[in-house]
Amino acid sequence: MTSHHTNLQEITRRQLFQTCGVGLGKISLASLLASQLPGAVQADNQPTDAGLHHPARAKRVIYLFMAGAPSQLDMFDYKPKLKELEGKPIPPSVIDGQRYAFIQPDAAVLAPRFEFAKHGESGVELANTLPHLATVVDDLAFIRSVHTDQFNHSPAQLFVNTGSGIPGRPAMGSWLSYGIGSVASDLPGFVVMMSGGNVSGGAAMWSNGFLPGQHQGVPFRSSGDPILHVANPKGIDRDTQQATVELLGKLNRKRASALGLDDVSARIESYEMAFRMQSRAPELMDLSQESEETLKLYGTSAKDPGSFAKNCLLARRMAQRGVRFIQLYHSGWDHHSNVEGGVRGQCKKTDQACAALIKDLKQQGMLEDTLVVWGGEFGRTPMVEASAALGRSLGRDHHPQAFTMWMAGGGIKNGQTIGKTDELGFHPVERPVHVHDIQATILHQLGINHERLTFSHAGRDYRLTDVHGHVVKELVA
Amino acid sequence: MIRLQLSAFLLFLCATGTQAANAQQKAEATPPDFNREVQPILSKHCYACHGMDDKTREADLRLDTLDGSRQAIEPGDPEASEVWLRVISDDEDLRMPPAEAHPALDQKSLDTLKRWIESGAEYDLHWALRPTREVRVPSVKNTTWPRGPIDCFVLQRMESAGLSPAAAASPTALIRRVYMDLIGVPPTPEQADRFAADPSDAHYQQIVDQLLASPQYGERFARPWLDLARYSDTNGYEKDRPRTIWPYRDWVIQAINHDMPFDQFSIEQLAGDMLPNATQQQRIATGFHRNTMLNEEGGIDPLEYRFYAMVDRVATTGTVWMGLTTGCAQCHTHKFDPITHHDYYALMALMDSADEPEMNADSPQVVSQRKQIENQIANLEERTIERLALLSGDEQKPTAAAYTKWKEQQLEQTVNWGTVPPQSMKSTMPRLETLDDGSVLASGDATKRDVYTLTMPPLTDDEPITAIRIEALAHPSLPANGPGLAFYEGRRGDFFLSEVRITTEQGPVELGIGSTSVPNAKKGNGKTFPGNVLDGDGSTGWSIPGGSGQSHRLVLPLKQARALNQPWTIELLFERHYVAGLGHFRIDVTEDENATASALPSDLQFELASSEQPPPADLDHRLATQYLRLSPTMAEQRKPIDQLRRRLPGETRTLVMKQRPADFHRETMLRHRGEYLQAGEVVPPGIPTVFQQPESKQPGDRLELANWLVSDGNPLVGRVTANRAWRLFFGSGIVQTAGDFGTQSLPPTHPDLIDYLDARLRDGSPNGDQWSLKRLHREIVLSATYRQQVGSPPAADPDNHLLSVFPYHRYDAERIRDSMLRSAGLLCQHVGGPSVYPPQPKAVVALAWGNTPWPVANGANRYRRSLYTYSKRTAPFAAAVTFDAPSGEQCLARRDSSTTPLQALTLLNDAMFVEIAGKLAEDTLRECRKLTPEPTHEQIARTMFRRVLIRQPSEDELSALVDFYQEQSQHSNPWMLVARVLLNTDEAITTP
Repeated sequence: MTSHHTNLQEITRRQLFQTCGVGLGKISLASLLASQLPGAVQADNQPTDAGLHHPARAKRVIYLFMAGAPSQLDMFDYKPKLKELEGKPIPPSVIDGQRYAFIQPDAAVLAPRFEFAKHGESGVELANTLPHLATVVDDLAFIRSVHTDQFNHSPAQLFVNTGSGIPGRPAMGSWLSYGIGSVASDLPGFVVMMSGGNVSGGAAMWSNGFLPGQHQGVPFRSSGDPILHVANPKGIDRDTQQATVELLGKLNRKRASALGLDDVSARIESYEMAFRMQSRAPELMDLSQESEETLKLYGTSAKDPGSFAKNCLLARRMAQRGVRFIQLYHSGWDHHSNVEGGVRGQCKKTDQACAALIKDLKQQGMLEDTLVVWGGEFGRTPMVEASAALGRSLGRDHHPQAFTMWMAGGGIKNGQTIGKTDELGFHPVERPVHVHDIQATILHQLGINHERLTFSHAGRDYRLTDVHGHVVKELVA
Repeated sequence: MIRLQLSAFLLFLCATGTQAANAQQKAEATPPDFNREVQPILSKHCYACHGMDDKTREADLRLDTLDGSRQAIEPGDPEASEVWLRVISDDEDLRMPPAEAHPALDQKSLDTLKRWIESGAEYDLHWALRPTREVRVPSVKNTTWPRGPIDCFVLQRMESAGLSPAAAASPTALIRRVYMDLIGVPPTPEQADRFAADPSDAHYQQIVDQLLASPQYGERFARPWLDLARYSDTNGYEKDRPRTIWPYRDWVIQAINHDMPFDQFSIEQLAGDMLPNATQQQRIATGFHRNTMLNEEGGIDPLEYRFYAMVDRVATTGTVWMGLTTGCAQCHTHKFDPITHHDYYALMALMDSADEPEMNADSPQVVSQRKQIENQIANLEERTIERLALLSGDEQKPTAAAYTKWKEQQLEQTVNWGTVPPQSMKSTMPRLETLDDGSVLASGDATKRDVYTLTMPPLTDDEPITAIRIEALAHPSLPANGPGLAFYEGRRGDFFLSEVRITTEQGPVELGIGSTSVPNAKKGNGKTFPGNVLDGDGSTGWSIPGGSGQSHRLVLPLKQARALNQPWTIELLFERHYVAGLGHFRIDVTEDENATASALPSDLQFELASSEQPPPADLDHRLATQYLRLSPTMAEQRKPIDQLRRRLPGETRTLVMKQRPADFHRETMLRHRGEYLQAGEVVPPGIPTVFQQPESKQPGDRLELANWLVSDGNPLVGRVTANRAWRLFFGSGIVQTAGDFGTQSLPPTHPDLIDYLDARLRDGSPNGDQWSLKRLHREIVLSATYRQQVGSPPAADPDNHLLSVFPYHRYDAERIRDSMLRSAGLLCQHVGGPSVYPPQPKAVVALAWGNTPWPVANGANRYRRSLYTYSKRTAPFAAAVTFDAPSGEQCLARRDSSTTPLQALTLLNDAMFVEIAGKLAEDTLRECRKLTPEPTHEQIARTMFRRVLIRQPSEDELSALVDFYQEQSQHSNPWMLVARVLLNTDEAITTP
């Protein structure tokens, strides 16, 4: 691969992004690198499932992003010590020099809001608000020592997705699309879905940044057109649309041959693919072919547009149809007040569907090559948040020092827990895992060395993990 | 100095002869060009460990300087050079660069290195850092083709590669191209026909000059500048709330239309506020660096995000005026380019000592309109007072009686307040200064918990003081006119006074709960009740809910009246989850009993208190005016006055820079690893060391930086500016890595041409461009290079670096929509003003945080040029972003030009474009029917075709369209379908 790196310099922008850029990342860097001669590019433009730098363990990612930051202390990271200390301030030695969003660091400790119990062969402790996840714990790997650099929502969400707290860098899904392309010929390679409200990081979280435009994430809407403008305009039926696209092909080919312009073929292809997407997208959204059993697995809201459960089921359908990076944002975890009620409510909306997705993928034989990732942008404080002016009580503030994520499938060694926090759940004390390490690990499972997937922009080579990140080897099966 | 010498060379001197052929020597015989061939290898493979950065330097060896390299290079003798032996070593442990994560050198690079060492391993300053060279216009074999120096440079490169120029574009293609390039919309078919009938050079020049003088020229070229300026109508990040900075956008349009020389254009944007007697327009121009984002999350540290804004300003300044990526040096010394960690913060320090206020940007028309309505209001108030005979004192008239009663109450409550200007002041962060009227104005930075400590002078009068009054006052320098400092998260101009403490040398002065002029300030209201400032709880306090720009009063009685004839102190605490200090306020005291907070303005109260009783006529009249404005009994009488008041034009306030006074200098700290929390030593202002010249004075502030950036001392500015201009016409630059002229950039395709354009642009002589971009644009579009026909590049030059055909490229998002609006006869020509909302599905902004409205415009605003489309950072206008328009989150030097199915879906199905297609069909039919009552299908199709593509259709094309029309005749509007096809053709959105 070393020599490929240098070859990239010789593959010009025009070849990379115009001749081959028929869209949505269908053409991968891998295929371009594999073809030594620019002339051979068109003949060999297939995306790769094999891995760019080493054999891939996963072909796709389903990333369940819990926006707002769930309370790890009330779901995964059980700290009986907090019960003991409830109402008392945290020792100054622990909180020295820490910055908080809303509270003063000397705020009192808040005990875990739920009972915890051990589950599965692995004996993982979970709060009793996660009864469904409890049934699949042995398929998951928990990381209790994740930490991040950012303690406000927008920058922290951007940080997880792009490796930087400032908007403008490419999203993880765009990096994957750029690196290994998409195998879907009638769907985008990088799809975003949302439930529970909108997200703080905004469109920058699925932006291609400085990568070519075809690698941008495409939001799927829960109502109206799933993809913006994927439906025909009012009064135009499929036949008319087909005739339109055919006539356009004819006119465009005429221009191409009259002027000897090869580049026009990319436009012609883009219209053909758009037309295919127009039938594929509604088919994807139509759950009528799903069995009652499957729908039941995801729960009663599986058919509700815009629900997390429906998005999980759609994610599985997208996975089957070749979408490379499927990202679900579920908002509503920002529990500055009443963390108990908040966590209970959000678990009710998400717990069953998360477990269902794991079971469903397993049944379909897809879990082994689908990497599922669950996590928020930071954690929540062991200390209570309360404020008369803001009308807040019994909440938890932002806590970037430690939080929990889980991963499943896609070559992840399951049934284990990595990392440990101190008895207050404040700092990691064993195997700290930085957000850049999570990113490196995700890329690793897809056959990418995060240090070598780079893009030259404005005078230097950029990568998802900036100049940081180490693969969490313990997670790799 | 360079300017004068160069003028002679810039004459059009395309000599004939065999010089060019002679120059073609065998490559192997010549030593490699250090800049073009050697430096890229060293930069890519060596500098990371053997470059500028002494923190990461290995083996104490640096290869970026001649001196450093001699440790490992023996000039002329590769075999005696450690560098050579290491790069060819078979031993994995010895071979450089190290195997892990570093690519090995390929054979070509090895050959180049070897030849370089053999030839003496000479170093040369990176080409872009060298002062402008004297370039001679090269001689060429084909002397008939060139129309000017540009063509000689381009042709010379073609000839040396055995290529020849393409044929000239057809007049119709050329006219469409030059319209699209200079004003962003196509000509009408009639305009094209007129040119086709007389395609002479003179006629072409005449058209070019007309286009350059068109107001649409400024709209076209403002857009790429706004990409660099990261212009947006919202603040960015999570909340992404609206901001008003379109006056800056309009300034850019006007400056470009007036062809403001680029040096002045730059200086006004970077430091217009620092120019002597800066005008309103020059201050509006400083909005350039106010386009940075603003995080409004409640949990942020506002100073941290100010730092990120400064980081953005340094990066943007570097990209725009130096073509250098300074960003790397935020965290460590640049590994490839000569910018150290220290240089970076010195550059930041040049720009750091400014405050970021708002200012009034009303046009003179608006100001006079407002004045007129204000006069009408005053007249109507006057007439109403007369009509109601308020001042008659006639007890028989109910209105007069009611007023008299109210007046008596007011007079009874009138208290004699005296303003006490503080003797000295300090605060945890903001700068506090006393104004002439004794009030206090805050400026500068602020935090989420600020304390103002006011040391008050001893009051010589020994009468006991009964109460203290704190009056919150509006001020034009404050966000939304104040009275508070809140500029994010909370309502702009808000404040929150959490606690008040008064002490004397004897200890605290006990205060009573008191009163406020804020309505409904009841106990239990955590934001207005006067007792909140005494309760020891920072989360309750006194503030003014509702609109900004109001003044209100808080009166705190002393529990025991006492003389304050010793120094005394007032401590004000402002604590909120956002910045909430008072921006403008006044402290008064009284000796009168029973002082309460009055609704009357303070100056009126003061005059009443000090006047004779009953008050003289003029005071009585002012009091009656207040009665008319405030009294509930006057509600009905006020209606027509309030109606007038609603017609007052709203104030437009725009974001600007304001240099801090010398005694309030902001110090810039180096930040280790670029992290805000890792502040290091104070760094004095200065330009990067590599540009410093021993004899000349170094820039010390923002204005001097601006002057330096556009001076001959900055070798990059002309090249970067010329390159940007070139790219706007040819789709890619002479240096293709736009925004980057560093050692990692691709070498220029035409090194002499870029230096020629640079020198020409900066040439101040009468024949020079004198920094006029219009002149540069004119020279480019008049060149034969620009007038070639579009086509595929030859196999020998697959990327068309040598421009032997005009490069095919897609238009940007704005020109795509604007040209379609124009073809459909819809485009509104109005220039400037607030941004507008063309149609797009609600689903687009629905993805953004909060409930963002998208009030779709009707009427002319629906069809404004795309430059005026409201730019929302977290949910940018979908049709624009799909065609690679930026979100405004970062400075963008070059847009991508992707081809995606989402673009096809947008042009085919987006209701906005379907509407345009419908109007195009409608307008075409109207046009055809004007000429003949029963136009044929061919006539209609041809007219429509020409409106979109300008040229005549071929017979094939025409029949294909007519056939399609007939196939679709069942449809309710088949001509709309035809129009839709035309708007979706590749030709409609690419260069002709």
